[in-house]
Amino acid sequence: MAYSTKVIDHYEHPRNVGILDKTDESVGTGIVGAPACGDVMKLQIKVENGVITDAKFKTYGCGSAIASSSLVTEWVKGMSVDKAMEIKNSQIAEELSLPPVKIHCSVLAEDAIKAAIRDYQQKHAVAATADAAE
Amino acid sequence: MAGEAASILELREYLRNRLMTEVPHATLNGSLERRVPGILNISFAYVEGESLLMGLKEVAISSGSACTSASLEPSYVLKAMGLNDELAHSSLRISIGRFTTREELDYIAMLIEREVARLREMSPLWEMVQDGIDLSTIEWTPH
Repeated sequence: MAYSTKVIDHYEHPRNVGILDKTDESVGTGIVGAPACGDVMKLQIKVENGVITDAKFKTYGCGSAIASSSLVTEWVKGMSVDKAMEIKNSQIAEELSLPPVKIHCSVLAEDAIKAAIRDYQQKHAVAATADAAE
Repeated sequence: MAGEAASILELREYLRNRLMTEVPHATLNGSLERRVPGILNISFAYVEGESLLMGLKEVAISSGSACTSASLEPSYVLKAMGLNDELAHSSLRISIGRFTTREELDYIAMLIEREVARLREMSPLWEMVQDGIDLSTIEWTPH
């Protein structure tokens, strides 16, 4: 298996490995994949005024999976939530020169950021509903 | 011939004992008695096999997962031996031969311990287990 230099770089020097407090209302958490598939990604974002100010990830998976999720956390920092929602797996795959057999890793990373955003949005939809109900 | 098998077996047992006692959540795959002396197959839970291989690039070693093929299925051999998919994805296959030395095994043990620890720090599964979560109760969302 020939890995691109970018995949190796992310594997050896992953960006933003860590945890954000999932109970914090400014944090959105997405967990996608399954151990039985050999790929699980946890991606978290901190959102302030509609902008992602911090992002962390943890991944159980091959080097391409680790690189895909690491790359996404790098990209989304400083992005508006709307812009981050538009990230496509093809962009990740291109940046990392993923071979066809590893494209699914980029798909999962796209799922992960979307899940984190949706979690954040759901938290705030609930809060808005609660406010309206008062 | 018998002498060589015995010395290979001794080396394998040396490595097996080191890995099984020094790395937590390591499980041996297959029978200890009924196996070719030079093969060791161990699953390191919560770390995916291919990612572990990348951290062991100085070593000619393989993983038990078929992830590198066009299929995403884990090794059908390990599954037939009763491993669940996750442990099959987390396995490492080590071959010891005529020219393997104890120093090489010490080096490999050190590398494996280091890389398993590093990858567990990056693993959401390890984090959940440390938090006391039973992974079998989680409803996963595969793509």
